[in-house]
Amino acid sequence: MSLLSLEFMQRALLAAMLTGLAAPAIGTYLVQRRLALMGDGIGHVALTGVALGLLTGWAPVWTAVIAATLGAVAIELVRQRGRASADVALAMLFYGGIAGGVLLVGLAGSTAATLNTYLFGSITTVSGSDLWVIVALVAVVLVVAAGLRPQLFAVCQDEEFARVAGLPVRTYNLLIAVMAAVTVTVAMRTVGLLLVSALMVVPVATAQQLTRGFRATFALALLLGVVPSLAGVVFSYYVDVAPGASIVVIALLGFALAWPVGSMLRRWRHRAVPEPAESDARLAGDHVTAEQHGHRHDADCGHPGVLHGTHVDYLHDGHLHAQHGQHYDEH
Amino acid sequence: MTPTVVDVRGATVALGDRPVLHGVDLRVGQGEVVTLLGANGSGKSTLVRAAVGLLPVTAGEVRLFDTPVGAFRDWHRVGYVPQRTTAAGGVPATVREVVASGRLAHRRPFRRATRRDHDAVVEAIDLVALGDRADESVAELSGGQQQRVLIARAAAGHPDLLVLDEPNAGIDRSSQEAFARALRTFVASGRTVLLVLHEMGPLAPLIDRGVVLDSGRVAQVGPLAAHAAPGAEREHGHGHGHDDEAGLFG
Repeated sequence: MSLLSLEFMQRALLAAMLTGLAAPAIGTYLVQRRLALMGDGIGHVALTGVALGLLTGWAPVWTAVIAATLGAVAIELVRQRGRASADVALAMLFYGGIAGGVLLVGLAGSTAATLNTYLFGSITTVSGSDLWVIVALVAVVLVVAAGLRPQLFAVCQDEEFARVAGLPVRTYNLLIAVMAAVTVTVAMRTVGLLLVSALMVVPVATAQQLTRGFRATFALALLLGVVPSLAGVVFSYYVDVAPGASIVVIALLGFALAWPVGSMLRRWRHRAVPEPAESDARLAGDHVTAEQHGHRHDADCGHPGVLHGTHVDYLHDGHLHAQHGQHYDEH
Repeated sequence: MTPTVVDVRGATVALGDRPVLHGVDLRVGQGEVVTLLGANGSGKSTLVRAAVGLLPVTAGEVRLFDTPVGAFRDWHRVGYVPQRTTAAGGVPATVREVVASGRLAHRRPFRRATRRDHDAVVEAIDLVALGDRADESVAELSGGQQQRVLIARAAAGHPDLLVLDEPNAGIDRSSQEAFARALRTFVASGRTVLLVLHEMGPLAPLIDRGVVLDSGRVAQVGPLAAHAAPGAEREHGHGHGHDDEAGLFG
């Protein structure tokens, strides 16, 4: 196949696949925490980093990583403060990032075409050494996002509960912010800074049309990130459009297909389970007999008792037993 | 005297610039079930949040299990049920996944959940009578059922102290009874409970002591009259509903 024999296409496809894995992996946590647009803000800030690279001659990927990380940490710190003016502060950071980037790119004497390759991705910009950086960064993001899933899930689900569970919540929050920054920089080559957030959010939104659990959503989102990324790069090779736009449009088509399927699934599930008013017999007030045991519960039997209305329930292997005639009931 | 589990002395707490608690004392002994009562804005939630270290005290001291809360590390001994209207986040999660978070104080990063963790999660879900819905999305449950998920999450860690912030605010009767049953099971094993309640409902017979807050100060402390009130309970039979709405202090 001629497409795969081209070295730059091999690199582009590999970069796209890695981006397609990393972006939804971290995106799941951002959506979980209802910070879906955080990736967008980081992308804006990263542009200033790219411009600094172009201006100074350093590798833009590294200057972008640094700028994006600083921006992500700043966003996280503003969020932790939780002040009412936080969203205004974030807006200023975002637009400062993009304006600063455009300004510095101009000063560096780069053309609008160069800028576009970072804003919307370009399949030809991935060099061999870039690829190694991307592989390493994505490996770290995936190991952290998958390996710390129970912890990160708890922190994103309910921060206060996580703190009382003794988790280092602030550290985990900063970790998510830094991982999001790294992912944005990685995705810069394929999707571009302006559309990176879409690849973090759309696969997750598509996946949750079809899933009920967090783990399932996480796994399906990775798949739904990889497929449009590869397809988008191939499409942009033949049609010569920016890969970022193709990737995002394909991902959105996926959502458009999944949405009606999802609403049908939900309706079907509701019909299949006709909402049992209260399925637990003990709650419905039904008579539930405890397992037969020769043991007789009384005040001295050693099983702790607790007053339940007019009688005493005894705690027996995690169940409450109450005497009823010759046998015991589950209470 | 039983060991003290929660010990708050002269706690003063401010939210932003607004002082909410003014020198509050609260002591909960091992095995006690203590409820905080009071009007909206009286500082009940603030007091429990300070007691678990979520809010700093500007004066006074908070100790958990005889350790200053700032230096307390045995968080697996505390189960906390925050005041929430929903257990759902931005991404679907099953009942089992949410309850599994309750085991994290026992788990180390990058380690898989053990058999014990799995068993504790199943047991906690069964405790709140949601066993048949364990693999459903929490977002699809009723408000009362979601509240029970949060209680199961706290119970899954097998804590010695359970702290609940308005666990039965606005939930249906069957969920209240499920919660009362879970709490009875918990209390029967000799563990300690501190809770904030709006109305006691089916919980009244379980509660040892009430602390009434008013404008950030303790207004009244004492045993609840519900225990002593004869005839407040109707014949138990097999209907598990209790309609004994006891007044605050009888």
